[in-house]
Amino acid sequence: MNDQQVYARWLDWGTRLSLAVLVAAFLAYVFGLTPAALPLAEMPRFWRLPLEHYLALSGSPTGWGWVAMLDKGEYQNLVGVALLGLVTVVCYLRVLPLLLARRERLQAAIVAAQVLVLLLAASGLLAGGH
Amino acid sequence: MEAAAFPWWIWPLALFAVTFLLGIVAVLAGVGGGVLFVPIVGGFFPFHLDFVRGAGLLLALSGALSAGPALLRGGLASLRLAMPLAVVGSITSIGGALLGLALPTSFVQAALGVTILAIATLMWRSKKSEHPGGVRPDALGEALHMHGVYHDPASGRDVDWRVHRTAAGFFAFAGIGVLAGMFGLGAGWANVPVFNLLMGVPLKLSVGTSGFLLSVIDTSAAWIYVNRGAVLPIIVAPSIIGVMLGAKIGARLLRVAPAATVRRIVIVLLLAAGARALLKGLGWWN
Repeated sequence: MNDQQVYARWLDWGTRLSLAVLVAAFLAYVFGLTPAALPLAEMPRFWRLPLEHYLALSGSPTGWGWVAMLDKGEYQNLVGVALLGLVTVVCYLRVLPLLLARRERLQAAIVAAQVLVLLLAASGLLAGGH
Repeated sequence: MEAAAFPWWIWPLALFAVTFLLGIVAVLAGVGGGVLFVPIVGGFFPFHLDFVRGAGLLLALSGALSAGPALLRGGLASLRLAMPLAVVGSITSIGGALLGLALPTSFVQAALGVTILAIATLMWRSKKSEHPGGVRPDALGEALHMHGVYHDPASGRDVDWRVHRTAAGFFAFAGIGVLAGMFGLGAGWANVPVFNLLMGVPLKLSVGTSGFLLSVIDTSAAWIYVNRGAVLPIIVAPSIIGVMLGAKIGARLLRVAPAATVRRIVIVLLLAAGARALLKGLGWWN
């Protein structure tokens, strides 16, 4: 199986898992099976606000702060979102050893650079503000 | 009537209905959902543009990730072609996302309107070349192994492909990354012409590889929105579910629907949504 086929297989399962988690978490959240940090009935007050005002008024976390609030329904949804954001990283990491084994050093370097960019974006270190 | 007059659940439900229709139309017209989602939802729903852009990126990302496996398995997307360009596009999409979240909303809204109007014009006027001829491979493209063979199921033959103007392609994808990150748009509308008309990639491979490339570029920008707290599940989840279900229906209708008519409808929708975004950004129609 070549690297493209391997990438496709991991991408397929990763995406299915991420979307399943997202849909399950959303249904639990919207039907009140899990408690929400911000009541759903209050959301129209918040979703019209610019981001900075919303954060200040709601006390919502930034970066990976949501992980500490996984007992709340809206933040459980972010597990599915985070998985969607990590699928590509996992797929790239899966094909990296295949490229190295074939001594395709340039392609391997490109894959490594891409993984670093994605992890940097995911880390929260780059998130600026208004 | 004021948006606040409605119960809260009307809006996610309306969002689901609208994105379901967008999912159908997007497949039939051959565009990504993000390019329709951001101007339409940003213009006609009560959500702030910051959250709409975050949702737009995740919407485009979900669609691209879901379509990716079949395209890669069938050889209609090429990892070798996309990987070097994706590094550049993902770096600039991070810059675009940071810029979009730092600039005043009215400016971003007006710039979004201008961009959407330009996309509608591009869709209306753009030409396509099934198998671009006269491709003279350049040194950069060859060094990066941007060549290969793909099997075209329609003609039943193997197509040998190479690229040219690789450096210009890198610059183009750098610009596309900025726009994708700043406005929360998928970038299929720009990827395909750059691959096909600029770099000489066969059309079907351009379309397939565009989807894969989009999944990488949008992932980088989406993380910026997630980390800044600009992802509201009450907007994101119904949108993703609606578009994904709509896309499944759209794929079934693909054989019977009049694609040219649907494409014209999409162009009209983009013109209306682009004009609305521009006027909202300029403060002339709030």
